[in-house]
Amino acid sequence: MDAQIDSDPALASRRFEIEFRLLIEAIYHLYHYDFRGYAAASLRRRLKAALVHFQCGTLSQLQDRVMHEPAVFAALLDHLTVQVSEMFRDPGYFRALREHVIPVLRTYPSLKVWVAGCSAGEEAYSLAILLREEGLLPRTLIYATDINPRTLQKAEAGVYPIERIAEFTVNHRESGGSSSLSDYYIAAYGRAIFDKSLRDHIVFSDHSLATDSVFAEVQLVSCRNVLIYFNRTLQDRALMLFHDSLCRHGFLGIGAKESLRFSSYDAAFETLVREDRIYQKKGAV
Amino acid sequence: MADCPMPMQFPTTESPGGRVVPPAGRREPTLLMEPRTFTGFLVAISAVIIIAVLSYDSLRQTTAASQGLTRAVEALAQLQGIASTLKDAETGQRGYLLTGVETYLEPFESAKQALPLNLAAARSLLAEEPAQQHRLASLMVLASEKMQELSDTVQLRREGQTAAALQMVLTGRGRDVMERIRVLSEEMQNDERELVGARSSAWRKAATVSFAVTSGGSILLLILIGIAAAVASREFKARQRESWLRAGQLGLSGVMQGDLPLERLGDNVVRYLAQYLDAQIGAVFVAEGSAYRRVGAYALPSGDAVPMRPGDGLTGQAVKNDRPMHIRDAPPGYLPVASATGRAHSTELLIAPASVDGRAYAVVEFGFFGKVVAEKQELLARIGEPLAAAIRASKDRGRLEELLRETQVQAQELQSREEELRVNNEELEEQSRALRESRAQLESQQSELEQINTQLEEQAQTLEHQKDALQQSHAILAAKSAELQRANDYKSEFLANMSHELRTPLNSTLILAKLLADNKEGNLNENQVRFAQTIGSAGQDLLTLINDVLDLSRIEAGKIEVSAEPVSLASTVDSLVKLIEPQAAEKRLKFTAGIEPGTPDEIRTDRLRLGQILRNLLANALKFTRQGEIDLRIFRDSPSTVSFAVRDSGVGIEPHQHEVIFEAFRQADGSIHRKYGGTGLGLSISKDLAQLLGGAIAVRSTPGTGSTFTLTLPLEYSAAGQPVKTPAAVPRATRPPGAETKAAMVRPAEVAAVSIADDRHRLTPGTRLILVVEDDVPFALILRDLAHEMNFQAVVVHTAADAVAAAEQYRPNAILLDINLPDFSGLGVLDQLKRNPRTRHIPVHMASVADYRREALELGAVGYALKPAKREDLVEALRRLEEKFSQSVRRVLIVEDDPRQRDSLRQLLTNGDVQITAVESANDALRELAAATFDCVVLDFNLPDLSGYDLLERMARQEEVSFPPVIVYTGRSLSRDEEHRLGRYSKSIIIKDARSPERLLDEVTLFLHQVESNLPAAHQQMLKAARNRDSSLEGRRILVVEDDVRNIFALTSVFEPNGAAVEIARNGREALDSLARSIDAPAAGIDMVLMDIMMPEMDGFTAMREIRKRPEWKRLPIIALTAKAMKDDQEKCLAAGANDYIAKPLDVEKLLSLVRVWMPK
Repeated sequence: MDAQIDSDPALASRRFEIEFRLLIEAIYHLYHYDFRGYAAASLRRRLKAALVHFQCGTLSQLQDRVMHEPAVFAALLDHLTVQVSEMFRDPGYFRALREHVIPVLRTYPSLKVWVAGCSAGEEAYSLAILLREEGLLPRTLIYATDINPRTLQKAEAGVYPIERIAEFTVNHRESGGSSSLSDYYIAAYGRAIFDKSLRDHIVFSDHSLATDSVFAEVQLVSCRNVLIYFNRTLQDRALMLFHDSLCRHGFLGIGAKESLRFSSYDAAFETLVREDRIYQKKGAV
Repeated sequence: MADCPMPMQFPTTESPGGRVVPPAGRREPTLLMEPRTFTGFLVAISAVIIIAVLSYDSLRQTTAASQGLTRAVEALAQLQGIASTLKDAETGQRGYLLTGVETYLEPFESAKQALPLNLAAARSLLAEEPAQQHRLASLMVLASEKMQELSDTVQLRREGQTAAALQMVLTGRGRDVMERIRVLSEEMQNDERELVGARSSAWRKAATVSFAVTSGGSILLLILIGIAAAVASREFKARQRESWLRAGQLGLSGVMQGDLPLERLGDNVVRYLAQYLDAQIGAVFVAEGSAYRRVGAYALPSGDAVPMRPGDGLTGQAVKNDRPMHIRDAPPGYLPVASATGRAHSTELLIAPASVDGRAYAVVEFGFFGKVVAEKQELLARIGEPLAAAIRASKDRGRLEELLRETQVQAQELQSREEELRVNNEELEEQSRALRESRAQLESQQSELEQINTQLEEQAQTLEHQKDALQQSHAILAAKSAELQRANDYKSEFLANMSHELRTPLNSTLILAKLLADNKEGNLNENQVRFAQTIGSAGQDLLTLINDVLDLSRIEAGKIEVSAEPVSLASTVDSLVKLIEPQAAEKRLKFTAGIEPGTPDEIRTDRLRLGQILRNLLANALKFTRQGEIDLRIFRDSPSTVSFAVRDSGVGIEPHQHEVIFEAFRQADGSIHRKYGGTGLGLSISKDLAQLLGGAIAVRSTPGTGSTFTLTLPLEYSAAGQPVKTPAAVPRATRPPGAETKAAMVRPAEVAAVSIADDRHRLTPGTRLILVVEDDVPFALILRDLAHEMNFQAVVVHTAADAVAAAEQYRPNAILLDINLPDFSGLGVLDQLKRNPRTRHIPVHMASVADYRREALELGAVGYALKPAKREDLVEALRRLEEKFSQSVRRVLIVEDDPRQRDSLRQLLTNGDVQITAVESANDALRELAAATFDCVVLDFNLPDLSGYDLLERMARQEEVSFPPVIVYTGRSLSRDEEHRLGRYSKSIIIKDARSPERLLDEVTLFLHQVESNLPAAHQQMLKAARNRDSSLEGRRILVVEDDVRNIFALTSVFEPNGAAVEIARNGREALDSLARSIDAPAAGIDMVLMDIMMPEMDGFTAMREIRKRPEWKRLPIIALTAKAMKDDQEKCLAAGANDYIAKPLDVEKLLSLVRVWMPK
């Protein structure tokens, strides 16, 4: 950062801290995106990267632009939200879904699945493919939600660079896929587009775990590597939404590094598959 | 611990220093008791043996001495006897010798016999004394000699030789012998006496010894017993103390069990110990660094938890000493105990440290009012170590958890960094790719640009051309538009002219036809007259038609001006009566007209137009009525409007035709004008005129019984007036909610005084009690007697308030509840009962003259009887109640046609208190449901006789029976539609599959435990709130565009009780289809749309935008249902075309008020 202003590192970091909080508040009040409950360390790193990208010396400069140029905010949102995933990421998780969750889901006449924090849609498509392989897709509706409208558009398009398909295919095979991934996409012009019939069963929607409420009763919530960006309070809020949204004995899957332990909802779920972080909501009367 | 007084202990495995216990810690199996006890026993046994031996010996000696004594005494007696016997014999002999009388010989004779006996006895007695034996032998010789001498003399005397006898005596031989006997006897007696003396002293000595031995032994035994008792009591006390201590330790380890955090542990420990020690107050402090922090307190005021250091104060001292301290006479102010009514000071304190491995982990401190016994201190000493260990463990665990949490956070942090890194990577790749692409693009763009430049020029030219063309076409369009306007004007003008031109010749035709028909000259025959009449009437019709067409075109062209003036209603009616009455009389119809009280005398409107409308309506009524009556009624409909209702008893109009009849050139039925004549324009004109006057016309009609057309006009015409709401379009609530109550309102005073003798003062526990709530005294008496007949006790109350109170107070087994109560409705009572957790299990049977069956059953009544009720009905009601409350087991009905499946279901669900009834067909199921109450039904969908839907619908229609929760268990997959349909009846649908049995079991269990309240309280609340609303939703149609079954069900149950019809669309596309359909069928017009946002296929935003694109839907109210909470999300809804929005989860109150606000009036 500007060396001539921030000569004293302690002062510099204090200044950064204040600017950081101001920016987050400003975003909340102007754009109604609530990042106040996000893990501060990660957010700080993301903002530092954003400073470079937007060629701003300080967060105040960035704030100025964000406040007055909505387009800058839209671009900043991409920086603030970590949009990275792959299809059938952590194949073990999907295998565990096949073995332990799908057999129970078969007993419901219709199914709803909520992919919270769907990013560019990889997970939603993975689940759709898995459900199709299991014969459940025709009676399933997948809600894929995220806070970033731009990534939602990407997700809705279902187009991925062809270089990534190889990795997806390996994952899919390891997840116990009974068909070939190539059945579900068409590759051309360096891109692969996923089958539109999958998308018929997916609703992509803008939904914030920080501010919005429950919208439907679902049998499975998959929310992986989202809670890691939240602080305790926000993690609890998200878990409350999942809990309220799930039907009795509904299922919750979270990321490999995440855990319900230490959360307020530890007692409300039973651990179904510990190593793959799949939980089942207890059927209290 | 070591320097505490140790009570005597039995060796136990826990005492490592026990001398007897082998190092292995196992008890020697052969050893029965402790050696000390064993020695004690040995001592006691040997003492007893010695005492016994000694006693025996002395006893024996005593006995021997006493025997010897006895013998000596007896011997003495015998010796004396011998001497006296001999003396007696001598005396007898002497007597005889002197007298010769035989009687004197008697002593001699007896002596002769006794002597040998005496001698023999003496010999045996003296057998042990050789000296005496000797003497006895001499004595015997002498005695026999004496006796011989005596016998000789007696013999001589008998023979008469008295002298010889005397001589013999005189010889003195006898005396010598006697003397020698006496001396010898004397000697012997003296000896014996001496012996007696010696023996007696020997006996006395022996007796003394024996006494001494006995008492000595007794004393010894007493001492031993005393010792044993002392030892036993000491051990008992020790054991009691030990068990108290041990129980304390055990209890403490109990409360310390589990993974407790430090605060919980501290609280548990101090609470437990305070109660166990009977302390009034207590606290526990845990070492933290060099200070101690309070983590648990008992009866201690919160706050003032000042950390303290070891050595600070007494507590600190105890830590320093590492041993419990007992402080007597604690200074006042020390650990004060306070309660709501006072405060006191602890007089004694116990302070104990808890250390393990030489480190104090905690200190406990207790205050007592009374004396503290040593055991308490001992207990505190003993629990020190386990407590310290538990605290250490808890602290360790806390640290571990902290570390784990930290690790978790770090892992998450790591993960997020990793993710970010990946993003950065991806971005970089993306950028480099973009860079590559852009370079290539740049190059091609360069060449493209040049190309484009040339193209641009071409395009500019083309554009110029197009612009010209556009201007031209614009001009053409403008001209066309003007032309069109002109054409329209021409049309209107033409119509006006045309009708005028038509009217003129027609007029003359009519006049001429009339003249002809009058046949004044009488030169026309009957047929010709009729022809003329026909010409006349046809012309008349034609004229009417022309007038109508003209009117209509003028109205449509906006050519009619309203001239508002005060119009007297009375005179309007008068003129109408004059006009219509003759026509009615002609058709033999009754015509009545009237103005209801409260109607203003005059209104401001266009007199002519009003007359025209009313004439039209009345003419219409005349036309379609063949018999019966026609009625015109004017009344004030609302503060600002007045209505004119024209009612007829004519043919009526089918409901689907109600809209059609107002359309120009259309009649209710194509065949109608053939039958009744007329142009069919009258109503269209009337409607248009009514609108022009700021009012409206509505129709209500039932085919076959007549129609009512109601014209509603504002009291005050205003040019900008809007059409008023027509009352006829909204049929009034068929049942005014207060009607029944109002009728009863007058009665409370009279009723309150009445009271029926019931059982409330002689309730016997264990008897079944029924609460009868009935204000009608005779009927209440009947119910009471019936209850008695069926072995119930009965409490009778007459008001709703009493009913609720009595249910709380007496907790009856069942309640018979009337709806029509003086203070408030029985339904309210039922609702209150069902909402009170203490009364909601009580089965309630309702009775009323009005049919509130649905409401009652919905609120959880077990049954409903319509009054007047037959006796059997009442018996049945009581029986049903009885069955319900005596049913302790849960009952499940299984409806399944496959016997194997049925059996396996039965197996699956069977458990102790579940009674299972399994049937194979729908009809059986209905029969079972009518006969008994079930808590849950498991239903297979494919049944031989009825489909699952039909069964459920029938079940819902069996209104006397409450509807149990139904679980549909089916092998068939269901379409969304089917699922939605089922959602009304079934709480849960399970598709048969590998894992379905366990889900079924879960769900059944859930319902069996939920039956306490048939409907969740929130749901009941919702229904009730909904029911109490005004009827602004009555008859309205609401399109709910929503995908979630839960919400659909909730919304339906809010709106349907209000009389609104709910149509469901599951996504935007279906919503559009639904709306499109409603245009084709005006009767099913949608009044409002509730639009969810997140939906498949077409989301809410798109759907709303699509709806707003159509002009006819521009004003259709749409309320968006959104899960999004932020302001701009909601603004987005408004921007997309919503009139308003409401956030999920839905608040029923708020939703209803929103709907009322936006519902078109």
